[in-house]
Amino acid sequence: MWLVVLRRLGLGIITLWVVSVLVFTGTEILPGDVAEAILGQSATPEAVAAIRDQLQLDRPAVVRYADWLTDLLRGDLGISLAANMEISEMISGRFKNTLVLASLTAALAVPLALAMGLAAAMFPGGRVDRLVTISTLFLLSVPEFFIAATLVLVFAVHLQWLPAITYMTEYESIWQLMESLALPILTLTTSVVAHMSRMTRAAIINVMTSPYIEMAILKGVPRGRIVLRHALFNAVGPVVNVIALNLAYLVSGVVIVETVFAYPGLAKLMVDAVSRRDMPLVQACAMIFCTAYILFILIADVLAILANPRLRQPK
Amino acid sequence: MSEKKKIARALAQHSDVASLKALYQSAAMSRRAFVSRLAALGISASVAGIIVAGSPVAIAATPKRGGRLRAAAGAHGPDDTLDPARFNSVINYGRGEQFYNGLTRIDGSLVAQPDLAESWEPNSDATQWVFKLRKGVEFHSGKSLDAEDALYSIERHLDKDVGSGAKAFVENIAEGIVEDKHTLRFKLKGPDADLPVILGTYQMKIVPVGTTDFSTAPGTGPFKLKEFKPGVRSLAHRNENYWEEGRPYLDEIEWFGISDHNARMNALLAGDISMMSGLDPKAIPKIKSSAGVRVVNTKAGQYTNFAMMTDRAPTDNNELRLAIKYLQNRERILKLIYKGNGMLGNDQPISPVDPMYCDEIPIRAYDPDKAKFHLKKAGMDGGTIKVHTSEVAGTGAIEQALLLQREAGKIGLKVEVQRDPGDGYWSATWGKKPFFMSGWNMRPTANIMLTLAFTSDAAWNEARWKNARFDELLTLGRASLDPMQRKNIYCEAQTLIQETGGVAIPCFIDYLDAMSDKVGGFEPVPLGPLGASQWPRSVWLEG
Repeated sequence: MWLVVLRRLGLGIITLWVVSVLVFTGTEILPGDVAEAILGQSATPEAVAAIRDQLQLDRPAVVRYADWLTDLLRGDLGISLAANMEISEMISGRFKNTLVLASLTAALAVPLALAMGLAAAMFPGGRVDRLVTISTLFLLSVPEFFIAATLVLVFAVHLQWLPAITYMTEYESIWQLMESLALPILTLTTSVVAHMSRMTRAAIINVMTSPYIEMAILKGVPRGRIVLRHALFNAVGPVVNVIALNLAYLVSGVVIVETVFAYPGLAKLMVDAVSRRDMPLVQACAMIFCTAYILFILIADVLAILANPRLRQPK
Repeated sequence: MSEKKKIARALAQHSDVASLKALYQSAAMSRRAFVSRLAALGISASVAGIIVAGSPVAIAATPKRGGRLRAAAGAHGPDDTLDPARFNSVINYGRGEQFYNGLTRIDGSLVAQPDLAESWEPNSDATQWVFKLRKGVEFHSGKSLDAEDALYSIERHLDKDVGSGAKAFVENIAEGIVEDKHTLRFKLKGPDADLPVILGTYQMKIVPVGTTDFSTAPGTGPFKLKEFKPGVRSLAHRNENYWEEGRPYLDEIEWFGISDHNARMNALLAGDISMMSGLDPKAIPKIKSSAGVRVVNTKAGQYTNFAMMTDRAPTDNNELRLAIKYLQNRERILKLIYKGNGMLGNDQPISPVDPMYCDEIPIRAYDPDKAKFHLKKAGMDGGTIKVHTSEVAGTGAIEQALLLQREAGKIGLKVEVQRDPGDGYWSATWGKKPFFMSGWNMRPTANIMLTLAFTSDAAWNEARWKNARFDELLTLGRASLDPMQRKNIYCEAQTLIQETGGVAIPCFIDYLDAMSDKVGGFEPVPLGPLGASQWPRSVWLEG
């Protein structure tokens, strides 16, 4: 099993490298560079040349990439071209914010999704199942920004129970933090719960058709016990993978929620960096997101192997 | 019941209201007393406010001390800075006014007022200016302000490595001489009657001599920096040692960016913030129909324009440019796109709020027949032309292009509207394609605006329009200290652009901001959103 993990890690590092090349090429193809982006409409040839010179943008792309890569290997993320600040300093606070939001959402969404999936799978076609199916399909088809806007309109503008935007500083208690983050957490929960609960339901129903479950039914084991004791463990593989993908999404893909609630997270930072052509910052964010995906999927695989002894022996 | 009806009813029922109002206006009665007397007559405070000045806030005439103001601008990002030379957006300007002062400050009529300089005097031909600095002013660090600091702060902008966005403003300064501790003389390369106004612009903030690290915002301003995270927020607290008597009124300012317009408006409606810059005209009804918030509308000189490059086909033909100018249905554009929040433009960049505005040139009326006439003369009858536009080009840039398409279609000119991506618009489209949309903020003086964007060798001359007489006029204008003569000079310059220039400017657009009724003391200055960002020293929070 450790061999499998090591091989995955190796592949992960190669993936990271490929992503870094792709991101670098992508930012090179975009029109304009950081000098023009900083100056905007006021980009006179003289001013652009001065900034390019200052940032050493006139060197060939390959040289700049190689420099960036060697710095990265030494653990130096470099300096943001647009802000002239250490990238590690810019990212650390944002990354913490992203993790806070992602973990609080996960703490609510994952148990909720599993419970909904299990409840639906107990009696497929029953009333609970239909309710869960209809509501999750509804949530899947409504875009995130619409949910966010509706929640803000109801809870912030009309009822004035919760703030319309988040403040990530100066809360005195965990309760204040929860109040400030309630709407983004709710929005994100609605968008990830549907996906995870449907997968849980499908995986369990799939297992429920196997002969050993039929045997258990014939022996007269109660339905709930069959689902929880017999079926659940064999359904863990696909379920943890979907959970992993959703967690990675919570870390990297929540730019809409960050925009609507003015939440200073990492995804928004990366989008801002792209529009400012701030290559080192884009790269740093891309590396973090890619690492998050790789780690979550790796953990999901390990969990799946632990839950299913048959996977421990490579065929 | 509408507010007008309420007032009419109130006035009809209580003849005493009129006499109370007269008392209040003659200042024989305090605001509070006035409102409470009205309340005794059964008139609510909000209606009382309207009786006084047409707006619920005007009643708040006595500044109130204390409180934390949370306010939000729009665009912000990791490149937010505290270095005055690199200020380039509302979020930065707002910080500039919190933490720093300039030598002068530009007021609502675009006249320079004393700030750190108490007085100033030109020589007879405006080639030298002497500024007398205020005594006893201290920086946040405790250092006393003297002329060396002022000289360093202004000369920084000339240093290429500083990368100042305001370099062009001060390039005319040949030399600064510290005459004594509080006297500074500027010798200019050529005459400039506008120097005091120029020194009041956003970037011309005074820092201690030798400052290269701006992370503590080491100015003399009404607030001191408590916390600053670029792209997130800044927290400022009152400078107890501030030199302006009694100011500032607020204890703290939390100033941050919310890029998304709807999120920003929701935050205001939900009471999370008390002030926001940049309100979309479409959202005016929403703010007007909500209690406790108001739209602040400042007449200004910003515009979104058609730029027609005069050095390349097909827009090098002035007949075609005239046709496009006659096709501007100005009233309709103002009403439809800007919901009436603006003033009619006249294809030249100086707006009616500028003291140098030339009101003698009749505004070019929408005239399809004349447009058709010029179109034929240009040999473009039945022809096709492509206009490039983008949402970043300026407020309403896409809508303006589409309206032109409609109007042009009526006289047989096919206009193709191409929407370019906002990303890279300024480098790939602006100043490259013959016919494109552009947008401009107002500059503090007519001369700066015309010099930056219309002189023959100006880097920002987007239409590459060249006119020797025009260049000569600007030089004359800079040298003249006589108001009448200046007005005549700038009038001729505006006429030249209006008749032959490469820009069609259908209207000037007001700055639209929104704030809570609890914010008092806001003063409009037409140079930018939120009263050219000068609010930190003047606003207060009611209860």
